[in-house]
Amino acid sequence: MLLLSAPFDPAATAPPRGPRGALAVIAGLTGLLVAGGGGWALVGPGPAGAGRAVILGAVHAGLIAVGWVLTTGTAPGWHRPVFRLGLAMVLASLAAGLVPWGPLALALMPLVLLVEASGHPRLRALGLARSRIGYAALGLAAGAFLGAHLLVTASLTFGYHVGRVGAHPYASALAYDAGANVLSAEWLFRGAVFSALWRRGGFWPAALASTALALVRYLLDPALPHAPEARAGAVFYLGLVGLTACALRAWSGSLLPGYLAGLGFFGAYRLLTP
Amino acid sequence: MIGLSLAMVAAVAAVMALTDHGPDSIVRHLYLVPTVCAALTRGAVAGGLIGALAGLLHAPVVLPSVERAGLTSQTLDGLLSLGFPALAGLLVGYLTDERRAHAARLDAILAIQRRLADPGSLQEALAEAAEALRVTLGARRVALLVGHDVQTAALASVPVGTLVDPDSAGAFTLATGQTVASRDLRDDPRFPGERGLAPSPIRGVTLPLASGAGRIGVMAVEWAGEVTRGTRAAAEDLALHVGLAVENVRLTLRQRRFTEELEEKVAAATARLRELDQAKTEFLSVVSHELRTPLTALQGFSELLLRSTLPPDKAHRCLVYLHTEACTLGRIVGELLDLSRIEAGRPLELHPERVELDALLERNVELFATEHRRHRFEWTAAGSGLALRADPDALDRMMKNLLSNAVKYSPRGGRVLVSAAPAADRPGMVEVAVEDDGVGIPADQLPRIFDKYVRVAHPDTAAARGLGLGLSLVKALAEAHGGRIEVESLPGKGSRFRLLLPGVDREF
Repeated sequence: MLLLSAPFDPAATAPPRGPRGALAVIAGLTGLLVAGGGGWALVGPGPAGAGRAVILGAVHAGLIAVGWVLTTGTAPGWHRPVFRLGLAMVLASLAAGLVPWGPLALALMPLVLLVEASGHPRLRALGLARSRIGYAALGLAAGAFLGAHLLVTASLTFGYHVGRVGAHPYASALAYDAGANVLSAEWLFRGAVFSALWRRGGFWPAALASTALALVRYLLDPALPHAPEARAGAVFYLGLVGLTACALRAWSGSLLPGYLAGLGFFGAYRLLTP
Repeated sequence: MIGLSLAMVAAVAAVMALTDHGPDSIVRHLYLVPTVCAALTRGAVAGGLIGALAGLLHAPVVLPSVERAGLTSQTLDGLLSLGFPALAGLLVGYLTDERRAHAARLDAILAIQRRLADPGSLQEALAEAAEALRVTLGARRVALLVGHDVQTAALASVPVGTLVDPDSAGAFTLATGQTVASRDLRDDPRFPGERGLAPSPIRGVTLPLASGAGRIGVMAVEWAGEVTRGTRAAAEDLALHVGLAVENVRLTLRQRRFTEELEEKVAAATARLRELDQAKTEFLSVVSHELRTPLTALQGFSELLLRSTLPPDKAHRCLVYLHTEACTLGRIVGELLDLSRIEAGRPLELHPERVELDALLERNVELFATEHRRHRFEWTAAGSGLALRADPDALDRMMKNLLSNAVKYSPRGGRVLVSAAPAADRPGMVEVAVEDDGVGIPADQLPRIFDKYVRVAHPDTAAARGLGLGLSLVKALAEAHGGRIEVESLPGKGSRFRLLLPGVDREF
């Protein structure tokens, strides 16, 4: 029991936090890649979609890198695994955008991330822990329910169509969600931000703040439909998904149930077409 | 009950869908039934979730109508009914949780107080109290440290096996009375040391256990994950009650110990009174016998002298006997009078004057040597002219009693050594020692031999006559002179009585 067995220094204060330099480096590199990808998409030679793939890969790599650095700090050598992951993400995104079986590379990104993270015990603080099967099933069910609800509501209210998506685009979208979209959101917003805020305060402030940040990230995503009802729906459903993922993260101590909830939700969402 | 609530929500949704009810249908209010059921049975989380589920299931009915008809009173009513079940579930569940938490807290307080009120041992009672606290607070670990010093305080922890660091937060709270709270013990700079963060924070709080007499200990609680304000407040309440309950236990134990000590003292005093009563009874018997013996002699010899004309030598011998027995009677009566004075608390009448010790010792030793020929009397004095300031009569009675005692408790004869010298260990005092090689006195009897009516039982001395007053009178007389008497003895080896009296230059 730490309260009785660990030494206590009432006057000790926390060392200055915030790896600002590292965050600036990550933001700078991400910005460079995004700019490069944008330029490539506009004027560059090569296959169509390569520039967009670089942009997507860079953004998600940047989100994962921020989550990594916020959790582990900037101990010597911090950049190596982060840069490796970023490179892997960009390459996987390129593969997904250019090669028919490329989305498979993106789908493997969670494994790459787990392997890279296994050598850094401090990343356990994110919620890199095993989860009970019940929590995992609950997460998947909650996400699937919200996704199904979205399908019903959108089709009944706005006349959206359900299921008119081809198998390959659907699989590619799922791979993107599994290896980039949901992965980076859970890693950063539930893993790094929510965990850190929860550690320093109560559940609700942490859950609301991390969910609000996640919503901002989605609302800034150019891929999100710009129709007002779509944005309102995104705020509503992604807010619920975010809060559900926070609750699952807190109850289970693991990111997995929230990750499965996100996958379940986006798995349904990808079936929807205007 | 959650399954039933889910089924009821699904049933209401099915009815709404199949019967094509509008957004303001009366049927929508049925969503409140499973919501309130869940809230009443499982609390705010379940009530809120079931209510939210009801709202979500109602949304596909409400939102298309909003899209079609815009914001009308019906559609607005429908929109409000999307959030109402969740709010109702949260509110009812919150009240239910509060009531349950309050009841659980009261139950825990009662259980702890009941357990602590009847402590077999404080340690066991504290361990059970710690477990009750852990369950009530939903904590991972609970420890109770009871005492004023962290090194000697009694510790009960759940799970067991906690070690206490003298510089820990618990010790800090015990020393200062200040509460220590941490949102995450592994990420708190006040708890130095590299431990690695766990996926869930470990919340902790140390609370002083206080009573009217001040701090009496510390309660330390650690939780894994979320801790509500209510739980924290409950911990503070429980610490207050535990402090009072522990103080009650300590007072009860102290009172019990006091009662036991009192009972022991009363029992000892009762036993002593019984002994005294028995001794007095025996004393009366002995006194009767002691008085009767010289009286019988006096009566017999006086009758002989009155009734017959005896030759002068026989008559003289009778008169000597009469005188001896009269002296014995006088000594017994004198002792009884002294005893009466002592028991009445009156001071003994003493007439101190200079007494030459050589003459007194020589006279008494010769007297006893004449009467007790089986014993070998020796006496020595350190130089001539050793003198005391004492009542000569009292000093004579003290010597006679000590010599009589030596003779009485060496029934097979032996050596009786009398010595006098300035006391080496007490300047200004003179020491008169009487030593025999008789039966001796057992160690457990030594503290009592100067008490009244006490006679040391020994098979060899059972026939010896005596009132059991001699040594107590010697002690009283010695103390009246400002002196004292001491004894050393070994069973089977003999005894040595050491009479210490003021020298001639000292007043008493």
